[in-house]
Amino acid sequence: MKVEAIEYGDRRVFSVSSFNRGIGDWLARLPTVWVEGEVTELRRQDRWQSVFLTLKDPADGACLGVTMARGQFDALRLDLGNGERVHVFGRPELFEARGDFRLRALSIERFGLGEHLAALERLKHKLAAEGLFAAERKRPLPRFPRRIGLVTGNDAAAKRDFLTAITHRFPPARILVAETYVQGPRAAIAITEALSAICAAPEVDVVVVARGGGSFEDLLPFSDERLVRALAACSVPTVSAVGHEQDTPLSDLVADARASTPTAAARLVVPDLADLTARLDRSRATLSRGARGTLDRERRRLDGARDQLRRAPVLMLERRRAALEHAAGRLRALSPRATLERGYAIVRVEDEIVRSSAQLGPGAKVEVELGTGSFGARVEEAR
Amino acid sequence: MSERTFEEDQRELESIVQRLESGEASLDEAIALWERGEELYRVCSAKLDAAHGRIEELAKRVEEVKPGNGAQA
Repeated sequence: MKVEAIEYGDRRVFSVSSFNRGIGDWLARLPTVWVEGEVTELRRQDRWQSVFLTLKDPADGACLGVTMARGQFDALRLDLGNGERVHVFGRPELFEARGDFRLRALSIERFGLGEHLAALERLKHKLAAEGLFAAERKRPLPRFPRRIGLVTGNDAAAKRDFLTAITHRFPPARILVAETYVQGPRAAIAITEALSAICAAPEVDVVVVARGGGSFEDLLPFSDERLVRALAACSVPTVSAVGHEQDTPLSDLVADARASTPTAAARLVVPDLADLTARLDRSRATLSRGARGTLDRERRRLDGARDQLRRAPVLMLERRRAALEHAAGRLRALSPRATLERGYAIVRVEDEIVRSSAQLGPGAKVEVELGTGSFGARVEEAR
Repeated sequence: MSERTFEEDQRELESIVQRLESGEASLDEAIALWERGEELYRVCSAKLDAAHGRIEELAKRVEEVKPGNGAQA
């Protein structure tokens, strides 16, 4: 297609379309080149014809849009992730409808870990060597925080998820929210400042830093050394709920607890009120059962003591009675009566036992005692 | 009746039995001891009967005021 200018007197004017076309044609004559950079904002969908990504210069952050036919991209089987450094082979191209300049990729080769990742790795090692991520540093979260501090972005999704989960689990919870920029060059400082402010607020017993999912770069502020150190120095326990399950920003490592999502963070921070109430009810039931059991046991013991008490005097009486009967038995066995029973008799004269007939004269009056009964008699003859 | 306790009477009875068992007592003494022993036995037995009666009476009164099983709230 031709590029034609419209003449206004001595002024030649191009329509947007023909200008773009002209530039496009000129760009298309440039040779193919290799360009090195870090992959960011990789966007690929099955229904799209092209795959889009932004190539970033790690030195100064300069960016270059890149497109590649989806079929070609898939055939490479690179399984690229954001932050990875690549070499892209392609030619400059202008998307004429929008005047967008970009690199039309013909091939992509993986170069290695991106500069960001390497830097992150270095920072991680440094902070780990200082012991900032050590398990001994982890503080337990309060069971019933008076107030919960939330540092989150003004993008709302993370905040909404967290607040919904908290109020659902524990309606009486009080939450202090600090909204801040969580993206862009000032994000790290903004989050750090918000964190300090919320830590200083009265009655805040735990602080949650939350952010929904995002690109590798979106989450970079949460690995910023200033923020990581601020989290470590925080006066109350901290929870990091940044990105998705597979993301591990350094905030996750330094915080006292990490949650994969804002909803999961809510579960860590407050107990489930319904569950708590149910447990309390169970405890109370057990308690009253225990008290009743003790009462029953004591009553049984008391009843036993009462029975013993009742039996004791009777038992004592019986023992005495047995001893008495025993003595009486012995008494009777030895008594003269037993002898009398065998047919002997005791003869008394004037209350004296008669042992010899010499004690008696004829006509003397004697008392004769027998086994049963006694009688008086007179002596007829003493021999 | 004397002011003597059951235990005193019982002790005296025991000592009489021992004295008789020793076989050292003369017949006159033995008869006197025996009569005394029989008297002591009557006294002790009466005391035990009285105590038994009082215990029975007390137990009956306790049974009457005992809280019925299941009557409590």
